[in-house]
Amino acid sequence: MNTKDIVIGMVGSGGDGIVAASDILATTAASEGLHCMQFKSFGPQIRGGESSGIIRIADHPVYSQGEKLDVLMAFNWVDYQKFPGELNCKSETVVVTDEIGFPDVLPLNDGVKPAEIFKIPFEALVKESGNPKAKNIIALGLLSEIFNLPKDGLKKSIQRKFGKKKAEILEGNLKAIDIGINYAVSNKLKSKLQFAFTPSKPHCVANGNDAIAYGALVAGCRFFASYPITPASEIMEWMGKELPKFGGTMVQAEDEISAVCMVTGASFGGVKAMTATSGPGVSLKVEAIGLGTIAELPYVVVNVQRGGPATGIPTKSEQADLMQAVYAMHGDAPHAVMAPADVEDCFEVGIRAFNTAETYQMPVIILSDQFIGHRKETVSCFDAHKIPIVSRKTPKDPRQGEYKRFALTDNGVSPMSYPGIKGGEYTCSGIEHNEAGYPVSTHGEHEKMSEKRARKLDVLARDYKFIRRYGVAKPDVGILAWGSTKGAVREAVELGNSQGLKLAALVPQLIYPLQVKEVEEFIKSCKKLMIVEMSYSGQFKNYLGGFCRLPENIIHLKSSGGRQFETGEILNMIKGNL
Amino acid sequence: MTEVRDPASFKKYISPLKPIWCPGCGDYAVLTSLAKAFAELNLPTDSTAVITGIGCSSRLPGYLNTYGFNSIHGRAIPIATGLKVSRPDVNVIVAGGDGDMFAIGGGHMAHVVRRNVDMTLLVMDNNIYGLTKGQASPTTPLGTKTLTSAYGSISTPINTLRVMLGYNCSFIAQASSTDPVHMTKMIVEAIKHPGFSYVNLLSPCVTYRGKEQYQMIKEGSIYLEAGYDPSDGIAAWKLLNANDGKYPMGVIYKDTRPAYGTKVDELRNAATTGKEFKIEDEVKLFQP
Repeated sequence: MNTKDIVIGMVGSGGDGIVAASDILATTAASEGLHCMQFKSFGPQIRGGESSGIIRIADHPVYSQGEKLDVLMAFNWVDYQKFPGELNCKSETVVVTDEIGFPDVLPLNDGVKPAEIFKIPFEALVKESGNPKAKNIIALGLLSEIFNLPKDGLKKSIQRKFGKKKAEILEGNLKAIDIGINYAVSNKLKSKLQFAFTPSKPHCVANGNDAIAYGALVAGCRFFASYPITPASEIMEWMGKELPKFGGTMVQAEDEISAVCMVTGASFGGVKAMTATSGPGVSLKVEAIGLGTIAELPYVVVNVQRGGPATGIPTKSEQADLMQAVYAMHGDAPHAVMAPADVEDCFEVGIRAFNTAETYQMPVIILSDQFIGHRKETVSCFDAHKIPIVSRKTPKDPRQGEYKRFALTDNGVSPMSYPGIKGGEYTCSGIEHNEAGYPVSTHGEHEKMSEKRARKLDVLARDYKFIRRYGVAKPDVGILAWGSTKGAVREAVELGNSQGLKLAALVPQLIYPLQVKEVEEFIKSCKKLMIVEMSYSGQFKNYLGGFCRLPENIIHLKSSGGRQFETGEILNMIKGNL
Repeated sequence: MTEVRDPASFKKYISPLKPIWCPGCGDYAVLTSLAKAFAELNLPTDSTAVITGIGCSSRLPGYLNTYGFNSIHGRAIPIATGLKVSRPDVNVIVAGGDGDMFAIGGGHMAHVVRRNVDMTLLVMDNNIYGLTKGQASPTTPLGTKTLTSAYGSISTPINTLRVMLGYNCSFIAQASSTDPVHMTKMIVEAIKHPGFSYVNLLSPCVTYRGKEQYQMIKEGSIYLEAGYDPSDGIAAWKLLNANDGKYPMGVIYKDTRPAYGTKVDELRNAATTGKEFKIEDEVKLFQP
């Protein structure tokens, strides 16, 4: 059977090189102009321990991690059993495994029996290679021959990965891949499942965290402060490497609060600034973000969501920080919340979040999640000039004593001065203030200023042009979703429509303020409404219900984090409700 | 010798806003001394910023014509750090009370010292929470009865000078509102110091600590003599360990390690190695 869309799972112990192997496959897919989505999962150990990787490769764009595995490469079965529910096989799955330790009964999920099994004498092959670390590369050689994966691409990826190291390391790995290929050829190991592909122009490959960081850099971010936290630290690491090349600075702060406060100070100084964290970090930053709203300071806070509350599941995704992002601050605290829906989107939201912050002089929270942040995905190469860059409005020739930092205006935005602008001296404050910035404490002044700040949200919701809509104009079932669930939802809509269903989906990028008009129009266009979200309590549905009239019988697909929705499960739920 | 200026030139730094401080508050002297220090150094108002948190003392920026930021409780130091690191051309002063700086914001102190960010911290120490009307602070003396220590405070007060010396702060000085001329001198020295400078300002709270605080400070003040060498760390420890209830006035400790900004410049040079980078070329990082 030929397929143009293959899902490969790999599992092994620390040192087996599972992660490196799946990274090489992702680079290979990108360089051959194929599309891929790749993600990894680890045991709780800091180093060593079991690890697994899943990669979906196709000759067409892919939006989700795919369904059950087509191929399972298991170095050993003890480790396989440490990822229940993650490496799901079906009766068509082909298993490649070590002949040593092969159990009488394969411990596959649901008692599944695989279609084919290839047992490999890894010990002998590793010995032949003379490199005890080459097991993963040998496996890649085997897989490429057994399933017709791009061999030349693999060799090129290995060249790139090891090319800068010592010559013998590169040669050793190239030898290892040939050992794998040759063993499969001479033993006629060929699966019935063959990957059919046509190479084309290379894509870029990125994870969501790096993509947000690059977007921010493009937007003009030149100051970044953060505190290390899973699953957001990569943003900080990227910034630490790249910002200094552009005259910027990354500061590793002493805690989450100081990180957001440093960003506050940089923004006050007229410098575009960002901090990145996960839910626990946002909990700590909330007071300062409130300060940003009343002091009207533009900056960006990234929350790469993980399972919560408290420590929760740091290495896995959830969409349950939505209410926190919108409502955590005390007082009426106008700010914006934006959500990227895939890796490419992370780059664009990185830019748009800054543009929004600068235009409206308010903190903007980017709600990403671990699934987007950590997965690798092929993307069309990021274009630094695609989205125009916006910077804050500054006063023209202000005069000291006359300049009003918080002047009341139609759209709520007042020209913002910062140190270095002569005559624009003012006191920025978290205490309620009048137009000139001096402290006030009367209801009348507070009302005026609350109204001014809230006005910015009305203008933002009206003027924000980007909203995703998929599928037919008048759907039988219309799905509302946000963030990373977009992938499976979009695929379900396209697959369902190809099967004769009438489906659509709306995925807002601007989460707060909610674009009520657009959302209500969508709801009206649907016979039945479905909401899909990774939150046990159904935060998205509750949130939407606060602004929109929702129909009575909603199909609500919700579950706590730690597992991604599958396209099939969304479609099945729709079919069961038609 | 500094140039002799018009003695009234400091007034251009004072804003028309009337302070909310009680009559007799030590913070008035800090305000005037700071303005005089600005005048002496001839700092432009548009490139000077005074950053504070919350407390009586944190109202300071509103009373000045420089840029200012009256932020949230305990966070003036990281806010000022972000400003100074991203805008090294701005003269940054951080001010706050003993509660703001050594209770709620105390966690930042070790780190701003460690980075040695080139800015000046003025702690207006009155041994009490004044704005919230008289609760015990981290420097309230043992046994003091306050709203939150009805039977007398049972926690040992922090010797903030010793804490800062322990953190290895690169400039430590003390002055008091009883001697505004000396205070101006200390603030000038601190601002001139290339690195993080800390000046403890004993600033009496007549409302909650009584007028006696002035007398107590005056009587306990010991001005460091000309022979005292502030670069001698051991001498500084000795001085602060005396624990005799006296207040050493003057520059207590000073070293010359490079400030954060210098290190940032070095880091950038290491990152660029003289090359020029283009934003659009960063896409190469994502190419297979």
